[in-house]
Amino acid sequence: MLLLGPINLINDLLLKFFSADTVNYVLWPLIQIGIVVTLVALWVAYATYLERKISAFMQARLGPMRVGPWGLLQPIADGIKLLVKEDFIPDKADRWIFFFAPYIAVASAFIVFSVVPFGPDWAVIADVNIGLLLVLAVSSVGVLALILAGWSSNSKYALLGGLRSSAQMVSYEVAMGLSLIGALMFARTLSLSGIVAAQGADSIWYIVYQPVGFLLFLISGIAENNRAPFDLPEAESELVAGFHTEYSGMRWSLFFMAEYAAMVVVSAVGATVYLGGWYFPFVYRLETAGHHNLYVIVSLLVFLIKASIILYIYFWLRWTLPRFRYDQLMDVGWKWLIPSALINITLSAFSIFIVQALDGWKSIHTIERLDNGLNLTASGKGIMIVSGLIGLILTGLLLSRINWRSRDFNLRTQRRNIRLVNLPKGKPAVPAPSSGG
Amino acid sequence: MKVKTPIPTLKQKLKRFFMVDLIHGLTLTLKYNLGALFEKDAVAGKAIYTEQYPKVRPDVAPRFHGAPRLNMDPETHDTLCIACNLCAIACPEDCIDVLAMDVEIIVAGKPRRKKVLDEFIFDTSRCMFCALCQEACPTSCLELTQDFELATYSRAGFVWNREMLEQGREKVKYTS
Repeated sequence: MLLLGPINLINDLLLKFFSADTVNYVLWPLIQIGIVVTLVALWVAYATYLERKISAFMQARLGPMRVGPWGLLQPIADGIKLLVKEDFIPDKADRWIFFFAPYIAVASAFIVFSVVPFGPDWAVIADVNIGLLLVLAVSSVGVLALILAGWSSNSKYALLGGLRSSAQMVSYEVAMGLSLIGALMFARTLSLSGIVAAQGADSIWYIVYQPVGFLLFLISGIAENNRAPFDLPEAESELVAGFHTEYSGMRWSLFFMAEYAAMVVVSAVGATVYLGGWYFPFVYRLETAGHHNLYVIVSLLVFLIKASIILYIYFWLRWTLPRFRYDQLMDVGWKWLIPSALINITLSAFSIFIVQALDGWKSIHTIERLDNGLNLTASGKGIMIVSGLIGLILTGLLLSRINWRSRDFNLRTQRRNIRLVNLPKGKPAVPAPSSGG
Repeated sequence: MKVKTPIPTLKQKLKRFFMVDLIHGLTLTLKYNLGALFEKDAVAGKAIYTEQYPKVRPDVAPRFHGAPRLNMDPETHDTLCIACNLCAIACPEDCIDVLAMDVEIIVAGKPRRKKVLDEFIFDTSRCMFCALCQEACPTSCLELTQDFELATYSRAGFVWNREMLEQGREKVKYTS
């Protein structure tokens, strides 16, 4: 591995000047943070490029073509343009909060990357045992930035946008957290690296066990990032631009970056929890063959591809579906997503209970090991996959039964209320004065 | 008062439950996306319709009439125009002025006077590109070409003289 020799060289060089602990716990993490921040910023920039391209392709257009070959330098040109634009602050705005809101948004999106496992070994900055909890906690701080931005702008559109987005994000946060629990029951750990390792040890992706959980995570993730079809806070036809109406120049672009970084975060976490993270069948053979660094890099690429697939689903949904109405949005959140997340938890707990009860009964063997997540044998996997699919159908049936024409019901009462005036049809409310008298 | 709302049929219920319309919409956009990447023919399929205009100029319809041109003899590079003034007579907009002059030439040993073209004024701002002048021309000298970029910065720029008509205007070439 000539290409990866420099990594060991740098390590040796650092060890000459610092102690082993300093190198391992201070210097390498700093280098990793630098690399990850740079790469994620680049990823975010090119996510905008990809979104423009994909939206163009879906509408039989070409998208950006002029800056560089195939418009590849377009994000850089956009960034420079935004940097040199005037950074305008409204007269009556709350200056300091207006200053700091974008930074909170960006920071809350970027901090999450500290625990995301991009690959095995040196491709992860920090492997904390509360990884998933940290992801949820930090990414929900982003709501604060939106509220502050909306409030401090001192503009009615910005305030309305901030209120909408905070209501939306708070209500979808619940569904997002609950949808992850099903997968955690199989992984038996909150550490993101641990979840990936559990999937690797079980040699399966949790999307197979948890189709409902994956769908819920995806939908609530899209809603949490205020993306179409849930982009009510930025509904340009109703509120000018939502919470960032009054922002311009670099601060606006920070919000833009935060939005895309949050998307990348959700796709990275989704890929980690449901699509097996950097785990891919047969890649570990490189490790056993002795190519350690190559193994890490191939795993990293696998992770990036998986996250990009989820990112593509984001764009795909955005350019296909129209925007929800506000009551429909709350409907989806509270009447569908949260109940189905609860049903999913119950069902997966029940199926795990069945698998554990079946283990060792009449020489049926379902559980292989428990020390590295829930590792099932082939029969156990079969039971789990079938129960996951049954859960998908069952959840849909149950909720459509419960929510059966719930919206129609509301409309009916509204109509009845209107009709309560009890006027005969087709006549004006105030009888016109007769012409003769 | 009771309001009647239509009760969905079983087919509609099943369609709603399995989200058939949503999946249909998603496949449509996916088809367009893949078509843009892999298909070549926009008109037949789902590929890209965009024209890269200044870089790639589109092919106009075969019967399109654009900028006028005075053709020359390809060998001698003399003008084909015989200053017969037929085009100016044919023009319904009176936008053509043919100015002729007499020159002395020797034909079969005798001095003769011949009418030749001195200046040709073509006002493209008044022209409606009917190509009646092209029809009238006996030597197929005046011709309306397929060039459609006629915009200029001033009204005077619309009036083309003989040199412009013979050489054509300078075209800006765009690369990348």
